[in-house]
Amino acid sequence: MAKWGMVIDLNKCTGCGECVTACKVELNVPVVGPEESAKGRTLLCMDILSTYEGEFPDVKMRTLPRPCFHCEHPPCIKVCPVRATYINDEGIVAQIYPQCIGCRYCQVACPYTVKYFNWTKPEWPEERGAALNPDVSVRPEGVVEKCTFCVHRLQKAKEQVAVEGRELREGDYVPACVESCPTKAMYFGDLDNPKHMVSQLKKSHRAFRLMEDLGTEPKVYYLSEVE
Amino acid sequence: MQIGNTFMVKPNRVAASVFFLLAIIIAGCADGQNSDAVQPIVYSHYTHVEEGGAECLDCHQYAETQSAASIPNIKVCIDCHDEAISESEDEATLLMYISENKKIPWRQVYSVPDYVFFSHRRHVKLGQMECAVCHGDVGSLAVPVAEQYERITMEWCMDCHETSNVSNDCYACHR
Repeated sequence: MAKWGMVIDLNKCTGCGECVTACKVELNVPVVGPEESAKGRTLLCMDILSTYEGEFPDVKMRTLPRPCFHCEHPPCIKVCPVRATYINDEGIVAQIYPQCIGCRYCQVACPYTVKYFNWTKPEWPEERGAALNPDVSVRPEGVVEKCTFCVHRLQKAKEQVAVEGRELREGDYVPACVESCPTKAMYFGDLDNPKHMVSQLKKSHRAFRLMEDLGTEPKVYYLSEVE
Repeated sequence: MQIGNTFMVKPNRVAASVFFLLAIIIAGCADGQNSDAVQPIVYSHYTHVEEGGAECLDCHQYAETQSAASIPNIKVCIDCHDEAISESEDEATLLMYISENKKIPWRQVYSVPDYVFFSHRRHVKLGQMECAVCHGDVGSLAVPVAEQYERITMEWCMDCHETSNVSNDCYACHR
């Protein structure tokens, strides 16, 4: 069984935010508006964290794209009282929206703060119209949302290769953020398959994961910047 | 004062219980999952399938390629019914819809909630399932489909997934 994972090369990431936009569109993530946003209720299944180093005028901005890390030992699944969040056979940490009761335990348990509670009824700017992704449900108000590694794309890819009568190849299934990255800073594939780029990159001396000492074993690796 | 109060409450209670009973009866009637779906044309699958020799996929064209199998409408019907081929009154109704270029307002009998992602392609094409497993022997129905042959419930889906040895991961249907 595949273990899907991601590698993000921080040398190549320019912090443009294309992955954030692609994610919002792909997963039907609502836009909450300025008032809710000021309360810290922005929904971002993919976010870019930025830090500034140095004094003016020699300021350097570092950016860190941050999806759900789909940990091998996710702390969030242990606290869910209704098994709305669990890790599936392929290592994807699922969030089943119709099952979620909105208790927000998992949101608190996640050390990476990648889970978001939707406080309001989903709304989008009028310009977007009804152009929602039909492959992803529109979540009801009051559930916890998260990055799914675009699992609907995996299902579609599996369906397609079954029709074509072949095995799933690298690149058949990539999440929207990886696909959209203009500098190709993100790689996606099976971490257990030695032929896949990600399984080679994760062995790089530049590879690291966030808060590794927690033992959560995230499946998203970063390649550190090289000056 | 207390006695008065109890008397005051009683008629309310009676009314409430009558209302409650009515509500149960009405809910019970509506429980048959679109059992009240009366179709705009008295369509006979029997005439088309058993007598006419049509296959399911002839009209429900997208069952092998898309998620939704599609309920055929005038653009599909016109292939055979470009002019009257029988003396049936229902065909006359159909021809009226066609001549007025109006869509037939079929009522959908089989549906799943919006958080369930069902794909006909996956079941019909990849799973090689017969239509009758879920829809029953529709071909023998001389009256329009009014209710589900098998009530589509999660338990029913999961039972079949288990016996057919396919994924029962929540993500298989919910996302």
